[in-house]
Amino acid sequence: MTRPQDVAALVGQMPDPDKHGKLDGIPWPEAEKIYDEILKGGRPAIVKLVEMLREVDDGEDYKVRYTLHGLALHVGRPGKEQEREMFASALASQLGGPRPKPVQGFLVRELQVAGGKESVSPLGRLLADEDLFSDAVLALLAIREGVAGEFRRALPGARGRRRLALLQALGVLRDAESVPALREAAGDPDRDTRLTALWGLANIGDAGSADLLLRAADAPPGWERIQAANSCLLLAERLAASGHKAEAAKIGRRLQETRTDPSEAYVREAAGRILAAAK
Amino acid sequence: MHPVTRREFVRSAAAPALGMVVRPGVLGRGRRPPSETLGGALIGCGGRGPGTYDGMRKFLEKAGLQVELLARCDVRFADKADNQTIYADFRRVLERKDIDVVAIGTPPHWHALISIAAAEAGKDVLCEKPMTRFIAEGRAVVEAFRRYNRIFQIGTFGRFADSKDKNKVLIHKIMTSGLMKNCPGVVFRKGGFKVKEWSGRVNLAPQPPPKGLDWDFYVGPSPFKPFVRDRFGGTHRNYWDYEGGGLADMGQHHLEGFNWTYGKDYTSPVEIEAHAPVAHPEVTGMWGWVEMKYADGLTLVLESGEWGTPYDRKKPRDVRLTDLSEEDQRKIREMPDPEPLLDFGEAVRTRKPAGGHPEAAHRTACLLHLANLAIRTGRKIRYDPVKEQVIGDEEANRLVNQPMRAPWHL
Repeated sequence: MTRPQDVAALVGQMPDPDKHGKLDGIPWPEAEKIYDEILKGGRPAIVKLVEMLREVDDGEDYKVRYTLHGLALHVGRPGKEQEREMFASALASQLGGPRPKPVQGFLVRELQVAGGKESVSPLGRLLADEDLFSDAVLALLAIREGVAGEFRRALPGARGRRRLALLQALGVLRDAESVPALREAAGDPDRDTRLTALWGLANIGDAGSADLLLRAADAPPGWERIQAANSCLLLAERLAASGHKAEAAKIGRRLQETRTDPSEAYVREAAGRILAAAK
Repeated sequence: MHPVTRREFVRSAAAPALGMVVRPGVLGRGRRPPSETLGGALIGCGGRGPGTYDGMRKFLEKAGLQVELLARCDVRFADKADNQTIYADFRRVLERKDIDVVAIGTPPHWHALISIAAAEAGKDVLCEKPMTRFIAEGRAVVEAFRRYNRIFQIGTFGRFADSKDKNKVLIHKIMTSGLMKNCPGVVFRKGGFKVKEWSGRVNLAPQPPPKGLDWDFYVGPSPFKPFVRDRFGGTHRNYWDYEGGGLADMGQHHLEGFNWTYGKDYTSPVEIEAHAPVAHPEVTGMWGWVEMKYADGLTLVLESGEWGTPYDRKKPRDVRLTDLSEEDQRKIREMPDPEPLLDFGEAVRTRKPAGGHPEAAHRTACLLHLANLAIRTGRKIRYDPVKEQVIGDEEANRLVNQPMRAPWHL
């Protein structure tokens, strides 16, 4: 059993960088012996590693970061589920408390590598944290399974970039339960929020949002018109693929009718391909 | 019905059916109406950017097309952007109707997103290599250019030279004929990957970003990190957030020709194994070799010569006509040579796919990403080249399709 006080010595076995700060790296067979020793110490050894992290990643604690990342890779190997769960639970136990936010950010990014269902709730709680939500979103999207509820729960009351990130995550996950929230966001005063919501509805393949998307695609020439038209085409493709050919054709026809300017001929042609596919 | 201008023709592949294309000579020698000149833009003006634009211009001129640089865009221009000719936000460039062709010279974490956005805006694209930062980006680029029927060419041209080499044309014919069942070929690519040169430094402290640089926009879809000087300006190659070291930076140069010659423009290896140390979470590092096997038996070995023990599992082995039966050899001899690859200018002019089209460029980029995936995870990877997913290794799959920071998404 590795004691927490032994962890520093194990970390110290990681190689030093050269005079330029570049790392030759530790070969896996050597590293695995160190990782296995640390893992023998269980959660206390992992927490000890976390305690060794400095607030600012300025290179002073690179051996600790290198060790933690190597451990995340090591326990993520197929067949190491028990070690992975222990490791990820230990990291997740350090979230949301008094640890400096940059340290927690690093832990979240390692959970993006090795986290699983045990990490979902602790990461979900960080979706309300203005400093950590962005990393938490990415980690949850990497874990993917069983995470949509965390985004839905965090959405009410979220503002600005946090709201945008949550809406996008729900679109990425193609979360049908989020259609009402995305439809509401499609009328948001912020352009990025509107476009993200429209794309999310299209990616979900929500047939009931076709008219909403087509109205948005009537925007004046510019980025919003381009992106809304693209979401219309995406929705039409999703609908055609799921057998809703009439709804897909309706979108194609409307885009053909409205894209009469020569500069939008390429959209008209793309819509024509949708129509052909929807026959 | 009005005559179709060159610019309208570029915008619409169906234009010839509507009328004739105005040729420069129609209006008299030396006169070119504005509609005859394509509008060009450069997005990403540092490093390779100007060279990429210049290359694009030369390809277009060689094909008889004129292009005028109307817009330059860079996140360093935040203080001086006039949104007339100088931009800091590429979206403002792409919404312009008078821009037809775009050269992309940003760091690679922006290549896919800007390429896709350009296709959505109806532009043709010449994009600096490597095409992408991870595998799912490449598939999204392929789909976007297919949806809008736009021209894409990757900014490296090894496949063009190989497609004119008699021996490589023969190998191409053998490999694409479907007659080679158990390919004994072992192809080596040794050196030239600049591994140490483009490995990152672990001892750099964060500092304020330079004046005029929109750091948040630069970081874009990647995880937000404080500014560190090496994260910007060429040494971005040393960070997983933006590229993938010398392997990603040089690999597309070295392997475009391989992919064409060995008929791998529509598939990827099925087993990938690397000899490399444990990877650092932020900066790219060292590796010795990567072995990649295809479903047809072909082996590709990348060897850096910069770390660990040399590769000694297999010897180089050419693919030969005599690997086939007498009858199959005759079939190969009777096969016509492949059509010449179109450069970017010819592709824009004819609206036919360029030699380095999205799928081909994507499959070459996949080699770099799969190699880095094996290097970063430290384990043998089994890969499904149709689903484009790692088999039986969820953690490794997280590197195939990496989530993006809003509002950026595939």
